[in-house]
Amino acid sequence: MTPPRPPEPQEREAAVPDLSRRDVLKMAALGLGAMAANAVLAACGSRSSTASLWPTSTLTPSAPPKTPTPLPATPTPTPTPSPTVNIPDLVVVRNGEPAALVRRAIAALGGMERFVPAGAGVVVKPNICVAYRTYEYAATTNPWVVGELVKMAFEAGASSVKVLDYPYGGSGADAYVKSGIQEQVQAAGGEMVVMSSRKFVSTPIPGGQWLKKTDVYEEILKADVLINVPITKTHGSSRVTAAMKNLMGIVRDRPTMHNRLGQAIADLNTLVKPQLTVLDAVRILTAYGPSGGKLSYVKKLDTVVAGTDVVAIDAYAATLLGLKPTDLDYVKIGASMGLGQSDLSKLKIEELSA
Amino acid sequence: MNVPRRPGWVQSRRAVQYLALAVFVGLFVLSRGGGVASNLANIPMRLDPLLVLTSSLAGRALVAGAVLALLTVGLTLVFGRAWCGWLCPLGTVLDLFSPKLRRGRRVAVPESWRKAKYALLLIILFAALLANQTLLFLDPLTILFRTLSTAVWPVLDQLVIAIEDLLYQVPGLEGPISSLEAAIRPAILPAEPLSYQDAFLFAAFFVALVALNALAPRFWCRYLCPLGGLLGLISRVALFRRQVAESCSGCPVCAPSCPTGTIDPDRGYASDPAECTVCMECLETCGRGAVKFRPGISWPEGRPYDPGRRELLLGLGTAAVGVALFRSDLLAKRESPFLLRPPGVRESNADPVALTRCTRCNECVRVCPTGAIQPAVFQAGLQGLGTPVVVPRLGYCDYDCNACGQICPTEAIPPLDLQQKQQQVIGKAYIDENRCLGWSDHQLCVVCEEMCPLPEKAIRLEEREVRSPEGETVSLLLPYVLRDLCIGCGLCEYRCPVSGDSAIRVYVPPLPVPF
Repeated sequence: MTPPRPPEPQEREAAVPDLSRRDVLKMAALGLGAMAANAVLAACGSRSSTASLWPTSTLTPSAPPKTPTPLPATPTPTPTPSPTVNIPDLVVVRNGEPAALVRRAIAALGGMERFVPAGAGVVVKPNICVAYRTYEYAATTNPWVVGELVKMAFEAGASSVKVLDYPYGGSGADAYVKSGIQEQVQAAGGEMVVMSSRKFVSTPIPGGQWLKKTDVYEEILKADVLINVPITKTHGSSRVTAAMKNLMGIVRDRPTMHNRLGQAIADLNTLVKPQLTVLDAVRILTAYGPSGGKLSYVKKLDTVVAGTDVVAIDAYAATLLGLKPTDLDYVKIGASMGLGQSDLSKLKIEELSA
Repeated sequence: MNVPRRPGWVQSRRAVQYLALAVFVGLFVLSRGGGVASNLANIPMRLDPLLVLTSSLAGRALVAGAVLALLTVGLTLVFGRAWCGWLCPLGTVLDLFSPKLRRGRRVAVPESWRKAKYALLLIILFAALLANQTLLFLDPLTILFRTLSTAVWPVLDQLVIAIEDLLYQVPGLEGPISSLEAAIRPAILPAEPLSYQDAFLFAAFFVALVALNALAPRFWCRYLCPLGGLLGLISRVALFRRQVAESCSGCPVCAPSCPTGTIDPDRGYASDPAECTVCMECLETCGRGAVKFRPGISWPEGRPYDPGRRELLLGLGTAAVGVALFRSDLLAKRESPFLLRPPGVRESNADPVALTRCTRCNECVRVCPTGAIQPAVFQAGLQGLGTPVVVPRLGYCDYDCNACGQICPTEAIPPLDLQQKQQQVIGKAYIDENRCLGWSDHQLCVVCEEMCPLPEKAIRLEEREVRSPEGETVSLLLPYVLRDLCIGCGLCEYRCPVSGDSAIRVYVPPLPVPF
């Protein structure tokens, strides 16, 4: 009644001295498990805020470093405007719905076609700094301003329009929804891209005086056209956050930049040069920025400012918050580095009503 | 000598086991952002009568949804330990890792070891009466979910990242990988990889538990599982039970097939209903159809390993001495300055160190989107092993999230609505001026102020004139904390750019003023 006995272990071992597939798989699984455990353990200590844990280096992107992608066709900011059209440096449009303000401002700058050639891949960079404020609190860029830009980019013939930011509080996916930006962008046919830590590319900053190298988001580097859409807010260390500082959202290592914030922001702006900047001042945050949290901090200006000179735009943003352009470190440094004009009196500013 | 088999029962049981495992793990997986409401996602815990009983005893309040545990009790009253054989997800995992033991290699484990689970059960119940749930660490559901939360899921995440990183180098795969990422994050895997302190300890515990299978199949269920002990006690009066008919020839086939080894050839191949998991293996093995599961009410024969007065006294004594030891521990007098608990926990638990109402299931660890909630390893001593702590340097409490209180099956973390949670004090932030870039190095760094999510900003800046090491007077913006406003969410600590420990740290909240 005894069941058939399985072969004795010794026999089996003698007969099959080499590794079976099973053994190999087992060992492979053990090895992989150990590697994963190692990564988990390594991660138990401190870690940089946005770095992927695999591999453990926090300085280089987790994906194998790619050769630095060619810089975005250094702006050549604008194809020289046709001499007959007298295009202003800055356009300020007031009194109207956000979408109408944007449309009027871009038209005055010569139309979206001036910035977006047919077939271009466009990236729009609003300010979506946290996942816990709706647009009314003016912590994030006005959704209709962003949506209208997406729409206009497609009208000009863009092949794709991607919208992205990397919030410091909460996840990108949550922030996109909470800010209301996702709804407007998708309605306009654009794509919200959740930024992945895999896609930062270590990039030298040849024009940088202090920040000489940093990890920049790949989609930004690859974009044919970059449209920067900051909102106008107060900010603790930089006093104002608008166009130039908004670009910090595309950089992995933001903590280091805080060591010399004004210089770092200016340095970053020598590398990444948006073809168009549209400053959202529909609602501005006048206190407790950058995230605010009370409607009493918000001032409704129903204004949009557009241009190609980030220094000029930030200089103008300062005045919206009751400051002088020279109160802002990065505006002063940016002007001295030749990034743009900080003296508003030297700019041709066209003021319109939508 | 092929034994004619009656197919069906064992296959059906396996199907039910895998289905139950899939449902339990599925609820766990979908509990974050997966569209399953929290009060559904934590149903498994409420089905566990041991967990519901001890939490209700220790918390001095009936756990919400406790009635679900009656389903399990009812099932046991009718079918015996069918929970263990058919539904328990840990039991199913142990079955999956059950080695096919050859007769000669089986280690003879003394029958008296079966007492251990009863002893454990009694200690747990008496400790619960004394408002302590430390040993619920050993409840099978909490073991499984804790291991999933702290070890399995993070490891899975790391493996997925590694594979994606590898495939990412293949041209043309960037798009599909990005789409995959969008599909699985943050619904199934975290938005950013999370780290858990000393998670290997929880993994090692689980591996050891599975490894015990090498001594005897389902070693854990036979000898140790306190829930098994509780259900075993109920099973003694269960309606359906295994019976051996006259037609039994006394052949030795069924006894080795029994995963809990309770079929005793010396007693006419009878079994103990308190040990039988109704797995039906013997039913299918018996060629003569001599094994039957039939209704039949009778008081089972006593066994030498049944719990008796000795175990009762031992349980009471161990629980009393154990709890007294915990209370005389250093931590009971001076808790760790960093024993930060999830929002509302201090207010809803009589003991902030041992966490009166916490079952150590670590569902909160799983749902916390930032990895702020970690299972305590050393911070809360042995009595608080596996209880949730907030470790801001590893993750911050998201201002717009109250998931932990929603998922907690026993309200050890109270189900605060978002507005309440946004005012709930977890701790208070203090700046270490010796390490702060502003205060000690005279740099302009006000990341903490920028991060503070409170509408009034609990971290503010003041302009100060300081003398630099070069002797120059410079004007600087320096951060300070308004302690009355701070809720201790830890976003400042998480983002502080100083390497290693943050220059701004969240400490346990001050004791309430006694008037």
